[in-house]
Amino acid sequence: MKHSLTSLFFLEGGCGSRAAHTCSVPVLPAASITALEALDLWKRHFEERGVAEPDLSSQSIMAHLLGAKTIESLEQGRLSESLSRDKAEQMWELCTRRLSRMPVQYVIEEWDFRDLTLKMRPPVFIPRPETEELVELVLTDLQTTPETRAGAGAQRTCLEVGCGSGAISLSLLKSLPQIKAIALDQSQDAVDLTRENAFSLGLQDRLQIHHIDVMKDADAVVSLCDPVAALVSNPPYLFSEDMASLEPEILRFEDHAALDGGDDGLKVIRQILTLAPKILLNHGRVYLEVDPRHPPLIQQWVEAHVEELRYVRTQHDITGRPRFCILQKEK
Amino acid sequence: MLSHRSIRLCRLCNRVIYNSSAGRGWRTRHDAPRRYCHRDAGDLHNNEKVQRFLLQVMEEYGHLGRKLQHARLGESERKELHRRQAELLPVASVFQSVRAALEELEEVVSFLHGKVGPREEDEQMAQLLKEEEAQISHRIKSLRKDLIQALVPSDPHDSSNVLLEVLSGRTTGGDICQQFSSEMFDLYQGYAGYKNWDFEVFNYTPAEYGGLHHAAVRIAGENVYRHLKHEGGTHRVQRIPEVGLSSRMQRIHTGTMTVVVLPQPLEFDVSIDPKDLRIDTFRSRGAGGQSVNTTDSAVRIVHLPTGTTAECQQSRSQLQNRETAMRVLRARLYQSIMGKETAQRHTARKQQVGTRSQSERIRTYNFSQDRVTDHRTGYVTRDIKEFMRGGEALDDLISNLLEHGDRETLLELVESSSILKGPESGAGFSD
Repeated sequence: MKHSLTSLFFLEGGCGSRAAHTCSVPVLPAASITALEALDLWKRHFEERGVAEPDLSSQSIMAHLLGAKTIESLEQGRLSESLSRDKAEQMWELCTRRLSRMPVQYVIEEWDFRDLTLKMRPPVFIPRPETEELVELVLTDLQTTPETRAGAGAQRTCLEVGCGSGAISLSLLKSLPQIKAIALDQSQDAVDLTRENAFSLGLQDRLQIHHIDVMKDADAVVSLCDPVAALVSNPPYLFSEDMASLEPEILRFEDHAALDGGDDGLKVIRQILTLAPKILLNHGRVYLEVDPRHPPLIQQWVEAHVEELRYVRTQHDITGRPRFCILQKEK
Repeated sequence: MLSHRSIRLCRLCNRVIYNSSAGRGWRTRHDAPRRYCHRDAGDLHNNEKVQRFLLQVMEEYGHLGRKLQHARLGESERKELHRRQAELLPVASVFQSVRAALEELEEVVSFLHGKVGPREEDEQMAQLLKEEEAQISHRIKSLRKDLIQALVPSDPHDSSNVLLEVLSGRTTGGDICQQFSSEMFDLYQGYAGYKNWDFEVFNYTPAEYGGLHHAAVRIAGENVYRHLKHEGGTHRVQRIPEVGLSSRMQRIHTGTMTVVVLPQPLEFDVSIDPKDLRIDTFRSRGAGGQSVNTTDSAVRIVHLPTGTTAECQQSRSQLQNRETAMRVLRARLYQSIMGKETAQRHTARKQQVGTRSQSERIRTYNFSQDRVTDHRTGYVTRDIKEFMRGGEALDDLISNLLEHGDRETLLELVESSSILKGPESGAGFSD
C-alpha cells in the first residue's frame, strides 16, 4: 500500500510542473507487438524524455518480465515473439514508472548483488557495485584468519551499520556459513526490507536486525551484544553540498539520510570510528566504504582522536579510486 | 550407387551414414563400430613403418628394463628411466598380451590339425577348437586396435574444459549468417547435453533481427577439449531462406560462421599480474560510489602487455561479470601461450585435421540438399535436422575426426622417428 502511494506521488510530482500534453505516455497498440518492437518503442520514448540509460532501462524491464535477469541471457527467438496482452500491459505500466526517473531497481522491485538477488523498495538505498568489493575484502580477511580474532571455537560475529536492503550482511552470511551478523539501520523501512530479504534467502536464523540510529543512540549499540570480530559499513559519505547535483533517480527516490555525510562527508564515519573500539574484540577490524577524498583525512583524524584504533591500509576499487579503509583495534 | 560413393569419399574408412528422417529421440545404431573400423586398425597395424616403430618401442622397453635392473645409475638417471618405462608400459603390456594370444592361437591350430578323424568325439572336439580359434582371433584383432591406440601420443590438453565461441560471419543483405550462428549455438548446447557436460553461457549477444551475433560459453566435463578441438574453424551454410526478401528469389544462399575452441586452463596455468590489467566499467567515468545509480554492470578487461581483451555483461552483478571476463581472458592468454608451444612442436608432416587456416571452410551444412560434409575427411551425413540437434549424429562425425587425427598423429610420429633412426630390418607381425 505504502509503495504504490509513493510511486503515485512521484509520478505526479514528476509531471505536475509541466503542461498536461507533454506528459503523454505512448499508447499501448491495439494489435499485438513483439518484445523487440516494444523495446524499441520505449527506448525511443525514454530518449525523447531525457530518461537516463534509455536502452538499458527498457531492456532490464523487458528481461525481467520475460523471466530473465538480463536481455543477453534470454533464449534467442524470445524477443521476436509476440507479447501477450498481459505482458504488454505490464511492460507499459513498468516503463511508465521509469518515465518518472524511478530507478530500474525500484521499478522491477529487485536487483542482484554478488550472487544474491535482493528485493528493492523505495526509499531504501540501492546497493552499488563498489560495495560488492567491500564484501570481498571482508571475506578475504575472515577466510584467511579463522580463529585468531575471536578465540578458538567461538562463533564470529559481524556488525553492520546502515544495512539498507541487507546486501552486505546477507552476502557475508551466505558466503560464510559459520558466522553470525547483527545489522542496524536508522530507517524502519530498511530494517523491514532487510528482514524480508533475510527470510527470502533463508538466512534469518543467523541475523539480528535492529532499528537504531548510531548518531543518536551509540550506547544502545554497545549493549546489543558481545564484542564482535568485524565492523562493516557503507555509511552515508557524500558531501552535503554535492547532494543537490545528484541525478533525479537518486534525489527523488532514495533516502537522503543514507547518502548525506555532512559538510565533509565524515559525520557518520567519525561516529562509527569512535564507537568501534567499544564494540570490537581486540585485533578486530573496521571496514568502511568511503569517498575517494576521505582516506588520508580518516587516517589523520583517527590518529588524533581514537587511541585504540590503528589505520591498517587503504584499498582501491577496480576503477583505481581509493575507496575502502581498513582499521584495526589495538589495545 | 553405394560403391560410387565409397570411391568418392574417404578411401580408408567408408563412413557414409544414412540417417533416417524418423526424427524423435536419440537413435542408436548397433551395426557400425564406434571407434576404429576393423579395417582401419588392421590397416595401420600392417603398415611397415608402424611395425618398425612398434618394434623399436619394444626394444627400448626391454633395454630400459635390463638397465634398471643391472646397471649402476645415478638418482636422476634412474628417475628418468623409470618415467620413460611408465610411459611405454601401456604399449608394452598390450604387445605382450598380443604375443601371448598368438601363442595360444598357434597351440589351438596345431591341435586342430592334429586331431582330424572320423570319430564323433573328434568332430565335437574339432568344433570346440574351431570356436576357440575364432574367439582368440577376435581377441587378437581387438588387442591390435588397443595397441595402435596406445601408440598414439595424447594431447596434454585433451582432458581440459573449453571456452567455445560462436561468431557470425558477414554477408551483404539478409541474416543468413546470424541465423546459422544461432543454430550452431544450439548444436553445441545439444551436444553438451548429450555428453552430460556442463554448459555455462558467458556471453550471448543476439543480432538485430533475430539470430545470433556472437556468444561465448564454458563447457566443462570429461575430455571436452578432445572432442571439441576439431570444431574450431569456419563453418559454411547453404540454404534457401524460408522467410525474407531472398526467399522470393529462391536462390541458394551461402553464409559462414566461425567457431573458436580454447582449452580452459586451471587457475595456476596462467599467472596474471593485477597491475597489468585495466578494467573498464560504467563507473570508470564520473565519480562512482554512492553518487551514481545505474543498471550498467558491463565489464571489460584489457591485458595491457598483450592487448588481449575480454568482456561480459551477462549478469546484473558487476562482480560476477568481472569474474566471468577474467575466466575468458585467462583462456585467451593461455591460447596465445599455447599457440607458441604448438608451433614449436610442428614437424615435417602436418596433421590433416587441425591445421587449416582460418579462412578455409572445415564443414558445409547444406540445408537445401539435406547434407553435412566435413571437408577434412570427406565424411558426409544426411538428415541435417537430426544432426543439428547435437546428438549421436554429431558424435559420430567427431569420432571419425578423432580417428583421423589420431591416425595422422601416429603416422607423423612414426615417420619422424624413422627419419631419425634410419631404416632397420625387422620382422613384421602381421598374419
